[in-house]
Amino acid sequence: MSTTAANPDLSFYQVARGIRSWLFTLDHKRIALLYFYTISAFFLVGMALGFLMRLELIAPGKDLMEPHTYNQIFTLHGVIMIFLFIIPVIPAIFGNFFLPIMIGTDDVAFPKLNLTSWYLYIFGGALALLTLVVGDGPADTGWTFYAPYSVKTGTNVSIAVLAAFILGFSSILTGLNFIVTIHRLRYPGMTFFKLPLFAWALYATSWIQVLATPIVGITLLMIIAERAFGVGLFDPAIGGDPLLYQHLFWIYSHPAVYIMILPAMGIVSEIIPTFCQRTIFGYKAIAYSSLAIAFIGYFVWGHHMFTSGMSGPARVVFSILTFLVAVPSAIKVFNWVATMYKGSIDVQPPMLYIMAFIFQFLIGGLSGLVLGALAADVHLHDTYFVVGHFHYVMFGGTAFAFFGGIHYWFPKIWGRMYNVRMANIAFGIMFVGFNTLYFPMMILGMMGMPRRYYDYLPEFQPLNVISTVGSWILILGILLMIYNLIRGYLKGKPVGRNPWGGVTLEWQTKSPPPLQNFDQAPVVSEHGPYDFK
Amino acid sequence: METTFVLPNSGHRRDDVATKMGMWLFLFTELLLFGGLFLVYMIYRYMYHDDFLAASLDLNVLIGTINTVVLLASSMTVAMSITAMQKGDIRLSKRLIWITVVAAGIFMVNKYFEWTAKFDHGLFPGMEQYGQLANGERLFYFLYFFMTGLHALHVIVGMIFLLFVIRFIQKNKVRQDKYMLLENAGLYWHLVDLIWIYLFPLFYLIH
Amino acid sequence: MSENNHTSTHAHDTHIVSYREHASTFLGLILLTIMTVTVSVFGADLYTLTVLTALTIASAKAIVVALYFMHLKYDPKIFKFMLTIVVVLFAVFVVLAMVDYALRS
Repeated sequence: MSTTAANPDLSFYQVARGIRSWLFTLDHKRIALLYFYTISAFFLVGMALGFLMRLELIAPGKDLMEPHTYNQIFTLHGVIMIFLFIIPVIPAIFGNFFLPIMIGTDDVAFPKLNLTSWYLYIFGGALALLTLVVGDGPADTGWTFYAPYSVKTGTNVSIAVLAAFILGFSSILTGLNFIVTIHRLRYPGMTFFKLPLFAWALYATSWIQVLATPIVGITLLMIIAERAFGVGLFDPAIGGDPLLYQHLFWIYSHPAVYIMILPAMGIVSEIIPTFCQRTIFGYKAIAYSSLAIAFIGYFVWGHHMFTSGMSGPARVVFSILTFLVAVPSAIKVFNWVATMYKGSIDVQPPMLYIMAFIFQFLIGGLSGLVLGALAADVHLHDTYFVVGHFHYVMFGGTAFAFFGGIHYWFPKIWGRMYNVRMANIAFGIMFVGFNTLYFPMMILGMMGMPRRYYDYLPEFQPLNVISTVGSWILILGILLMIYNLIRGYLKGKPVGRNPWGGVTLEWQTKSPPPLQNFDQAPVVSEHGPYDFK
Repeated sequence: METTFVLPNSGHRRDDVATKMGMWLFLFTELLLFGGLFLVYMIYRYMYHDDFLAASLDLNVLIGTINTVVLLASSMTVAMSITAMQKGDIRLSKRLIWITVVAAGIFMVNKYFEWTAKFDHGLFPGMEQYGQLANGERLFYFLYFFMTGLHALHVIVGMIFLLFVIRFIQKNKVRQDKYMLLENAGLYWHLVDLIWIYLFPLFYLIH
Repeated sequence: MSENNHTSTHAHDTHIVSYREHASTFLGLILLTIMTVTVSVFGADLYTLTVLTALTIASAKAIVVALYFMHLKYDPKIFKFMLTIVVVLFAVFVVLAMVDYALRS
């Protein structure tokens, strides 16, 4: 593919047309959009499953479905939301679209590998959906596939697990691509410490993707082998240790949550400077903290297993390390708030989502510390407190940052602006809906309601009703947001290069960008990436 | 018609260091993939030390040692094939790659004999004698087959990779001034060797 | 000037390893192999020490393969650095897992 072929006056959409120009593209921007549409579709499926779950839980006893079906629904909800939405969403969409532009190059290091990653994503997603229609239906083990039940159940565990394996590959290859891209393709003058913080976030995330994912890969293969050969790897009756499965599973799945949150924090670090029109407070601290979170995050996995039967010393060690990993996250929050202090704050839709992020991530993060304390965890493990905790960080955190990123970069990607007033209203509805849905779960958990339960004691009902109503409000807000974005895509007012006054490299080029990203040489400031003169 | 200014760094131009870095990152994933299995091995060996020892006595140390030597030699020959390519000796380079492939073949033949001997004794998961083993011995054999099996799969992939490189040399797509593909195939091959370097003592030499 | 940032059309400045050096590496590896087989066959009763010895010799072989056959000794330092991180990571996994298994009552 020649680098001098394309006319810089054409946007990357205009250089080629037709379905084949999308399905066989090597342009990182088109690949990002392929991911955007397919990931969004899976998000809506996962959201529908969540909607059904909350509907069942509006009252004790059976409302809509059999208990077995409920188990399958929450399993599929988790598998889709985690492997098909939250893990890939920011790296595959905004990482793919903006990393090359932000570092001043024309594509990722391995464009063909990039397209391969997307096809692997589609293949894995298709397999996950396949479990709905063949055999005994979707897995009913929970997304964690704990042995020995996952080895014995007749549902489509092997297919689901194979889907996760393939999706893991997609994730690994994306991470690999980004690491090499950042090392080799930076524009002259852009040293590591002039990289935008979103790039730092992606760098740290990519290392987790590359190093942690293989462990879950081999673990899932072991589950398939167990189902096929009945060796007893994890079966206590014939000498295996079910805890070994948990160790192996969480050695990946805990770092995985940092794959989920680090890119989101990267987006926060981009949006705040722009909408406060000043440089980020503590750039190096935020950069280093991304690496620290990635590194320490590898060593805390045992906090998912405090009540499973690990040794006492192991529990203490993992608890201490869990407290330690909270420190770099806190550093980021302090730095963001310090950036806002006495800044010229412009409350546009992206900034709304980011302020919600800080509020919700705070609740989610602090509740994580509560769970990390051994004595508290004994009471809270496997209750709705955990469900509330991870939805606050993953949904209230990562997903809200994703929505903020959409509203921030929308004009750059599509060259138009959406209706700001409607975006604000949609945000408001989502914020109310989200907190109404999930805050009661914190209380329910402390009251003792277990998670993954189809039924519950009558004393839990009032809060469950509130939560379910919250889900309806939230979905309304999401649908309004989507409607507004589609309308903006179709009929929004065209924008220039820099509608928000940002200073990172993507705001120097046209909206939408040309095929090679830049129509004139990008200017890299000597004073760092957030140079608001 | 204006010419586009050209970005100094491009994802679409040749970059040998990037290609090498990408290969190493992929090798890291392979190391951790096998690492997970080594972790399982270590834990179960800790739990079932005597059973592991008893079961390992059934493995043939001589064949294991021969296979180790064969793989080490094949690492040498593939490394030498790169030297030959750098010096412009294309024919020698191709010959050395062929020797590497043949060595891999010898390794696989040995493996075949080892495994079929076990099948003949009913010692594969699912077979009769296997089912009658003690718990720890059963875990040993499962790990033996899984790990050497996964390793053998990588040997086959490595052989195919090397054969592709020979083809590319014949088509002049790998040559003295452009041989990253050969280097990367070599790196992959050394990884296969590395894994066996650990498999050999852990399964054959537990005394 | 960021020198490791340019896309090169040639292979990295080629340091050619001689055939003799490769052969020497191979011989060194054979020696280590002989050592490890000998220790295991003739050093029977050492139990934990046998494991440690076997793993140490295996690691020596691995380091030799990595540094010489895989060219890490002559490559940019970043590659050695990355590999070290991976090895350290795995080592910590093993240690933390063993803190559980070794100390269960």
